[in-house]
Amino acid sequence: MKQIPLEVCHYDDNLRIIARFLLRCNDPKIFAIIEAIVDTGSPITIIGPRDVKRIRFSPLQRERLEGRNKPINIGGSQMFTKILNNAKLKFGELEIEMPVDVPIKGEEKAIQPRLLGVDFMLKTKAKLFFDPTNKKAHFEIEE
Amino acid sequence: MDQELELLHKFEKDSEWFHKNINKLRNEGFTNKFVAVKESKPIAFGKSIDLVIKEIEAKNQNPSYIFIEFVHPKGKIIIL
Repeated sequence: MKQIPLEVCHYDDNLRIIARFLLRCNDPKIFAIIEAIVDTGSPITIIGPRDVKRIRFSPLQRERLEGRNKPINIGGSQMFTKILNNAKLKFGELEIEMPVDVPIKGEEKAIQPRLLGVDFMLKTKAKLFFDPTNKKAHFEIEE
Repeated sequence: MDQELELLHKFEKDSEWFHKNINKLRNEGFTNKFVAVKESKPIAFGKSIDLVIKEIEAKNQNPSYIFIEFVHPKGKIIIL
């Protein structure tokens, strides 16, 4: 059994579960650290507009990705995304290859959060343990 | 490998510092601004993420490894 430790903290005054991981991809070349909110209400994992800018993911590079063609509603805003199919998410020694949504439109304000969704839990068969009272959380993954 | 873990560890420390000191940042005039944190102190800030990234690059730092967050006004509730 592997455990991925998570942080429980007041993220903008709202108690959240936070995951931090390395995001890498060979084509397009990406290597960055991402901090995401663990969101069991989100079916997808999505990086935020400010990450797109931090990693210099150009509009041309994003246009080449596979399209979703449907808007995504997140935190009261609407975004259009494309899918980075061969993204690798690394948590300590554990590395998972899975699709990650990347915003292509609607990111002008760049304040939307990044989310680690249920797709990650399905891909890794992870169980989420969350104790908000004691501010503890982790994923448990069977080997 | 060790270098990757070190980058992640430094990022975590800066994130923890940000979340613990968000009220201090608000009191110091960072509300509604993006703030970049390195080694537990703000190294760049501004209303636009693009300007913050430019400032980070001007300091010869790679924004991909730098913690950047938006300082929302106190009490804002965001339902995902």
